[in-house]
Amino acid sequence: MSALLEVKDLVVTVGPRKILNGLSLSIDAGSVHAIMGPNGSGKSTLGYALAGRPGYEITGGSVLYRGEDLLALPAEERARAGLFLGFQYPVEIPGVNNVYLLKAAINAARKAKGLPEVDAFEFLQLVRAKMKLMQMDEAFLSRGVNEGFSGGEKKRNEILQMLVLEPTLAVLDETDSGLDIDALKVVARGVNTLRSEHRAVLLITHYQRLLDHIVPDHVHVLARGRIVKSGDRSLALELERRGYDWVLEAA
Amino acid sequence: MAASQDSLVDRLRAEFAAVADQLPNTTVRDSRSAAVERLAAAGLPTNRDENWRYANLRALSRSRFAPIATHQPIAAPDLPAALDGFERYVFVDGQFAAGLSATPSGNVGPGIAANSPTDMDTPAAREARFALISDAFAVDGLCVHITAADSAATGASIRRIEVLFVATADATIGSSYPRLSVRLEANTRVHLIERHVSVGAAASMVNSVIDVSLDRDARLDHVRLQQLGARTTLVDTLDARLASNTHYQLHCIAYGAAAARSTLRVALQGDRSRVELTSGCLASGTQTLDTYAVVDHAAPGATTRELFRGIASGRSRIAFNGKMVVRQNARDADSVQMLKGLLAGSEAEIDIRPQLEIYTDAVKAAHGATTGKLDDAMLFYLLSRGIERDIAQSLLKWAFIEDALLGIRPEALRRQLERELSRQFQDIAALDGLLGDVK
Ligand SMILES: Nc1ncnc2c1ncn2[C@@H]1O[C@H](COP(=O)(O)OP(=O)(O)OP(=O)(O)O)[C@@H](O)[C@H]1O
Ligand SMILES: [Mg+2]
Repeated sequence: MSALLEVKDLVVTVGPRKILNGLSLSIDAGSVHAIMGPNGSGKSTLGYALAGRPGYEITGGSVLYRGEDLLALPAEERARAGLFLGFQYPVEIPGVNNVYLLKAAINAARKAKGLPEVDAFEFLQLVRAKMKLMQMDEAFLSRGVNEGFSGGEKKRNEILQMLVLEPTLAVLDETDSGLDIDALKVVARGVNTLRSEHRAVLLITHYQRLLDHIVPDHVHVLARGRIVKSGDRSLALELERRGYDWVLEAA
Repeated sequence: MAASQDSLVDRLRAEFAAVADQLPNTTVRDSRSAAVERLAAAGLPTNRDENWRYANLRALSRSRFAPIATHQPIAAPDLPAALDGFERYVFVDGQFAAGLSATPSGNVGPGIAANSPTDMDTPAAREARFALISDAFAVDGLCVHITAADSAATGASIRRIEVLFVATADATIGSSYPRLSVRLEANTRVHLIERHVSVGAAASMVNSVIDVSLDRDARLDHVRLQQLGARTTLVDTLDARLASNTHYQLHCIAYGAAAARSTLRVALQGDRSRVELTSGCLASGTQTLDTYAVVDHAAPGATTRELFRGIASGRSRIAFNGKMVVRQNARDADSVQMLKGLLAGSEAEIDIRPQLEIYTDAVKAAHGATTGKLDDAMLFYLLSRGIERDIAQSLLKWAFIEDALLGIRPEALRRQLERELSRQFQDIAALDGLLGDVK
């Protein structure tokens, strides 16, 4: 069986700079991958490039998602095809209610599948259930998207959106940073409920701690724009102990 | 162009001479011809005039100035739904339509209040030159004159009035002259909804003149909705004078007409008078929506709160020129202008200008004016959730314009308006289903 996501020799240029420089990564359905790496090494760039953010120009390589060219799709179609990016810095959108966003997102996904718009009652029930799981107060629904949310609240909100959208491939960019100890568990539980043989998760993180709660099958080190080392979860423990220098020297 | 302006004035004179005898309201006949003469002397504004650069007045050359004698019959279902608790007065092409109105007695009724002749030499009067055409030709108008005794008699502390100006006829048949005169005596309060709509798809010429005068401690909540048909041209002049301790809440929402120009002047003549001017404009296609708003602080301790939001899509143009004058005696003036434009089309244009003319020291005057595009990061965030581009853009536009809608009362009107506005955005149905659930 071919991989859910197949990234080959990806080169991504932002403005005048090449940020990713021949990155390859293969993710099978049912698996959890973690990417670690020094600040500025290009982890978020990978997430944005996969999600289709304008300005992140693909100047080389290929990305196949379910065997098809992901890079040919505009951002919104990638999302509808089941790709989800949890932002490292979720964007505040004053004046757009959280609930509008959720409803618009659900309806877009349903429309793509040829389904009618979600029933208002079902929708609220679904959202309420997911909010409960994320231990979020319902008052968040009527607030502007991420507007004035604390750092941790924003991250929970990302996972809430993920749970509502049930993506096939979730790329979570430092969803753990800024979370308190309890929130980390809540977020991990949220992610774990989504794990299934059809789905995959790509976790971008700096901390081994998250990986205690969401146990990865593979751990990669991203440095200088490419994956320089891969291993199982013991690699994360080793990185925590020894830092990145030894990996970079060996690479 | 001077030549064509001259010929416009000549034509106006000739048309006036031809219809003067048939015009009703003999009471104002003398001031009618005086208005024509004053206009002939002053000339009409052109785009070369500093404050008229953005106005699109092209339709004048094909318009007939004389009022429309007869119009297509229209029925109540053609009009926006009535608002609970509001008296309704309907004017069709400038003529009072009793059959469509629900009009209790009181000092409200059709008629034309004769404007006191203005001195054409003042700058304010020069900006209001189009009002002279209305002075010459207007047929009917609504006079709202609320006295303290009147509000005591009706038992209601707030009088609620909706006036609907409907345009149906083509400009080549004649012009429509909506007229509204509001005088609130001391301590009275009115909630006034003024709507300009079209029935049918005619390219009408509408020239409206609104006069507001508030005696001390009076309060007027005034919502103006400009929802004219897509081929109509509107020239609009509003003049308001506020005495001591009055409160004027003026809410202007405009998204109709091919070309609309509003000239607003609010004179804060009494101490501690307060005006809150909120204006929202939505333009698309090749529309031009131009507002020139002057607030004149002429007494101590007066307050202005001005908020503008404009979204220009397609190849449309929006202009908002907000001038704030604080005279020497207007110490302790407090004014805030928050003006924002959103360019939603690569060929759209927005020109927002706050202007301050301050002649005294003891003033608090804050102003901010920005024009920008839809925020890329916000847009990408919405797209990354699978939301279609049209809808994502509309959500962001909605968020932008919402500040200008929030204060509109009654709630029923705001909801009506929100529904209609969401239809202005491209994705109509989808957004319709989104909004309203929460609030
Ligand atoms: N829009 C941009 N303009 C200029 N440089 C950029 C831009 N976006 C990213 N970069 C640069 O690309 C490099 C990689 O950034 P990226 O955000 O992908 O790093 P990261 O691995 O996610 O870092 P962190 O761990 O700090 O989140 C950085 O040096 C960053 O400054
Ligand atoms: Mg990052």
